[in-house]
Amino acid sequence: MLNYNQVIESIFISLHVSLFSTLLAFITSIILGYWIAINSFQLKKIIVSVLGSLTSIPPVCAGLLVYLLISRSGPLGWMEILYTPTAMIVAQFVIILPIMMTLIIQYVEVEYPPFKEELISYGASKFDLIKLLLKNRSSFYLTILLIGFGRAISEYGAAAIVGGSIDHVTRNMTAMIALETAKGNILTGVILGLILISISLVISFVINFLKAKN
Amino acid sequence: MKLFIRAIVLVLILFTSAQSRDYIIVQSTTSTANTGLLDVLTESFYEETGIEVRAVAVGTGTAISNAKKGDGDILMVHAKADEIKFVEEGYGVERFDLMYNDFVIVGPKNDPAGISILNNIQDVMKALSSDKYKFISRDDNSGTHKKEILLWKLSNISPEENANYIKTGSGMANTINIASEMNAYVLTDRGTWISFANKKDLQILYEGDEALFNPYGLIAVNPKKFPHVEYEKANQYIEWLIHGNGNRVIENFKIDGQQLFFTYN
Repeated sequence: MLNYNQVIESIFISLHVSLFSTLLAFITSIILGYWIAINSFQLKKIIVSVLGSLTSIPPVCAGLLVYLLISRSGPLGWMEILYTPTAMIVAQFVIILPIMMTLIIQYVEVEYPPFKEELISYGASKFDLIKLLLKNRSSFYLTILLIGFGRAISEYGAAAIVGGSIDHVTRNMTAMIALETAKGNILTGVILGLILISISLVISFVINFLKAKN
Repeated sequence: MKLFIRAIVLVLILFTSAQSRDYIIVQSTTSTANTGLLDVLTESFYEETGIEVRAVAVGTGTAISNAKKGDGDILMVHAKADEIKFVEEGYGVERFDLMYNDFVIVGPKNDPAGISILNNIQDVMKALSSDKYKFISRDDNSGTHKKEILLWKLSNISPEENANYIKTGSGMANTINIASEMNAYVLTDRGTWISFANKKDLQILYEGDEALFNPYGLIAVNPKKFPHVEYEKANQYIEWLIHGNGNRVIENFKIDGQQLFFTYN
């Protein structure tokens, strides 16, 4: 009844897309988040508020937004990334970036000022401070990675709209669960869901292990 | 900051240059996809020609609107009136008859509305419009929904006035699930019904009426309107489906020993 090859493929697609989107969002949120947190400028409060509200963007809306951009009739249609894993990575990136950025900005705004005073008296530059914060508080960043990844791998609406749930190509785990449910194979859907949760558990254990090591 | 922008551009270029269009995109419906037929056709066509088919399965209305935006090379749906309009408005080149099956009206085993003994669609729809029985509608612009609206129209009935006319706005599976939980009537295509694994106490109560005929059409998206479409490969697929081995694959496709789709040849 269930094609094991298809299941393995969908697991691979889920991991590939979500790991990529989480990593890209993480790097972007560190760069942009630090910059926003450390500096003060006129629009800062508005930007931080908007970022906060974007954490609750409905995934379907994010998916529609990306779809309108990359559709053939959209401004980025020439890139031809609609119905490819790249589009799914972009959609998930859009969803998890605000979450990661909000967390980092909040954290740095609290950690940075006292840190800064202490170390500037030792002659450290802004860049040195950032490097230190990154190294010493790595458990915090591991947590952000976990939250972002969890959101990305469990998401269905956005990736399905821009990915098209195409067999072998963009049918990730959540799309496969939706398809099996649509075929009436409820039990199969539940089993796939349990597999997905198990994978998340493994990743969570790994992250916590890394945190403990530090 | 400059380094960051350069890195992003590099990543974008890497991603986009990795894509090459040696595949065709088919905008199709959930009724063909959820039976498993599309996957079988894709495998078979790839074995013969090496051309990859990427089939997007959404509601008929969505498939048509996607194709109108140029997000597909082929349209494969079951809404003849809309398909003809699609070609007339210049979005498609020509409409071909691909395959057919029929719709069936499914309901609770004991058939409280007594439609199984009726012999024309008008009487059936009239019986179902009574507010004593629940009727579940997909209400999602799908081919099935469009057929349902047509049937009400044929019988001169406006179902909205019925308090027991329930609109789910969702796919066939979800709609059938609701019908079985509520012990209600629902219109479904036979293909989905045969392959559906959660029938519970529902069974086919009315079928065979010529009004329930369900034809699927095949249209290549117009390269004059969308120069980026893979017109040649699309035509290869269309040929294969109608005159080639695709025809045989469709005829041989069975679930539980029952053939789901029939071809014209």
